Amino acid sequence: MGTISSAFSLISQALDADQSGLSIVANNVANASTTGYTEEKPNWQENQPIEVNGVSYGAGVTETGPTSVRDKVLEERLNQQQQLASASGSRLTALDTLQALFTPASGSSSSTAGNIGTDITSFFSSFSSLEANPTNNADRQAVLSAAKTLAGDVSNAAASLNSQKSALDQEAAAVPSQVNALTSSIAQLNLEILSQSPNTDAGTLEDQRQQDISQLSQLIGVNQVTTTNNGISITTTSGQLLASTGESVPLTTGTVDGVTHFFVGTTDVTSQLATGGGSLGGYLTARDQDIPSVLGSLDQLAYSVSTQVNKLNNAGTDLAGDNSNAGNIFSEPTQVAGSAAAMSVVMTDPDHIAAAGSGKGTGDNTNATAMATLASQTIVSGLTPINYYSNLVTTLGSTVSSVQTENTAQTASVTQLQTQNSALSGVNLNDEASAMTTLERSYQAASQVFTMLNTIMASALNLGEQATVA
Amino acid sequence: MRVDPFYVTNLVGSLDQTQLTEQQLTAELSSGVRVNSLSQDPLASGENVLLLNQIEQDDSFTQSSSQVQGQLQVADTALGSVVSQLTSAISLATSANNGTMNASDVKSISSRISGILGEVETLANSSYQGQYIFAGGKSSAAPFATSTSTSPAVTTYSGDEGVNYLTTPNGQSIQLNVPGDQIFTASGSNSVFGALNNLVADYASGTVNTAQAVSDTTALSTALNYVSQKRVTIDNSITQLTAASDAVSSEQTQLTAAQTNLMQADVAQVSTHLSLAETQQTALEDVISQLGSGSLFDKLP
Repeated sequence: MGTISSAFSLISQALDADQSGLSIVANNVANASTTGYTEEKPNWQENQPIEVNGVSYGAGVTETGPTSVRDKVLEERLNQQQQLASASGSRLTALDTLQALFTPASGSSSSTAGNIGTDITSFFSSFSSLEANPTNNADRQAVLSAAKTLAGDVSNAAASLNSQKSALDQEAAAVPSQVNALTSSIAQLNLEILSQSPNTDAGTLEDQRQQDISQLSQLIGVNQVTTTNNGISITTTSGQLLASTGESVPLTTGTVDGVTHFFVGTTDVTSQLATGGGSLGGYLTARDQDIPSVLGSLDQLAYSVSTQVNKLNNAGTDLAGDNSNAGNIFSEPTQVAGSAAAMSVVMTDPDHIAAAGSGKGTGDNTNATAMATLASQTIVSGLTPINYYSNLVTTLGSTVSSVQTENTAQTASVTQLQTQNSALSGVNLNDEASAMTTLERSYQAASQVFTMLNTIMASALNLGEQATVA
Repeated sequence: MRVDPFYVTNLVGSLDQTQLTEQQLTAELSSGVRVNSLSQDPLASGENVLLLNQIEQDDSFTQSSSQVQGQLQVADTALGSVVSQLTSAISLATSANNGTMNASDVKSISSRISGILGEVETLANSSYQGQYIFAGGKSSAAPFATSTSTSPAVTTYSGDEGVNYLTTPNGQSIQLNVPGDQIFTASGSNSVFGALNNLVADYASGTVNTAQAVSDTTALSTALNYVSQKRVTIDNSITQLTAASDAVSSEQTQLTAAQTNLMQADVAQVSTHLSLAETQQTALEDVISQLGSGSLFDKLP
């Protein structure tokens, strides 16, 4: 009905609506720097027009509440990419520490492991020098000294690798508690969203949930599954459920073969987590794949060199006259695994180096020649010792280089997605300023109309007479 | 079209990146090395290991060969002296054989040849840095000793047949010694000591059995030629060693140049990149400081 009082109520509704809009703008501006905050837009809803005697009268406007401007698909893509970037990032950090042990020989930095390539060469060269002068004590001492340097550097490298492995293990073991906190928070939020806004965007609650999922993605690889009533279930990339509505399954740890393994319930998910992504994936890949690979190669090198040199020494005659039982130069390894860490020189008396051939006089150099020749024989997995080491170095360098490339690409992709996401959902102060100006003007206009209605009402009350009501 | 309101943050990320680049380039310049970690150039790192190995082997051989050179020279000189001693012995024997000498002259010839035998024995027991060079593998003891309990006296060899070789980096084997018995007490008429001892016995009594003496003198000549032949083996080793040494030396020079090329930083290129990175950094800093401020709110009344 088109009366003055209905006009009054229309206008007060407009004023309310404008005020409500202004408070949403104010909220946006206040939260402009809040991480994970999604810009909210006011929703204007025209009220249902009233029909009286066939004439339709408008019923004004209501502000029905804010809507968050978000793209869920974009957010999910961002989370996926974040998992990959975190995984390659933490793996790269571990690999950089690893490769520092094997810096090229003319590099400027030094590592506790010295340079194994130079040591291998010097060791076999010391036998070449012994060829020229088999009975010379100084040359024999030089052999033992070169052997000690080689054994020391190899065992130091193995020790560093082992300690890096346990450091990674500790870092990995610290992740589940953070994961569990996040998954239980997500489960709780699912519950709250179910009760408050099962059919529409949940606003601030959704912001919090997305924030939790984003942090979770940096830790481990997860898949998101949208469920009924605006819920999001979280599973590992291999399908184990971690969080649903009201319920979360914790990630637990246990020790298997001396390293930390991860369980969901009773299932061991360690190898799946390693390939799943997130910083945990990176730690586990470095711990279970990269480090063991290098350590295995060092073990093979140490084992082959130690056993072959010992064998030859026990096949010749030394200065003390021992024939075919001169003793071991290196401690004899019993198996390949662990021989790098255990590599050491057991011979103390240089006279026990068997430079002469079996049964020959002490001035003979046949055995010294044979030991020097080991350097060019394929004694380590079908390669000469120095070729084997060269391969180790190249393979490691290539692995690190490719992880670097991956990480750079993934980080760039994350940046791009974040930019897109911020462009969509970030609070743009210019937009807020113009929205605020519009609402302000709208409010001013509505209040002007109110003032005019007031004047009209007063005239109506006075009905044309000079009046007391102004 | 919407704009990321946080794009200035991304610029700061780029600033970090340029700083990192500057840091890496500065490290290259200060160390002079292009490859400071394996991932910078994995293939070069592997190649570097092999080159350094070869260079070190060459260096080690150069040092060994100068040591061995000395030993071979000593052997060669000793054999040279042996040859001149034997030449004197032959001329003494010849003069004794021509029948013009009296008994006491013949006896003095015997003692002079005996003296020569002593000289030759000393030369056969030559040592180099404490090791006897004509003893084969048993180099810790003097290989030759003469026993005068019989007539003619017998010089025995107590060394062995050990022959040492030095391996060059290319796999060539150079003979380092000849066992003394092969030079001095070879079989039959090639035996130096055999011939000398016989001649000493031949002239000891003062009377010369001409046929015997002449045959023994001829044997000594044969032995002298034999010694000269054996000396050739030593001389060949010296020649081979010099040649191998020179080859290894020039290989080492080439390899060192190759390794330097592989690993050395190209200073001009690095300096250029560094100056570009610095320019980029300054520009970014200016942009960030300009853009970071202000929004429409500042302009509203």
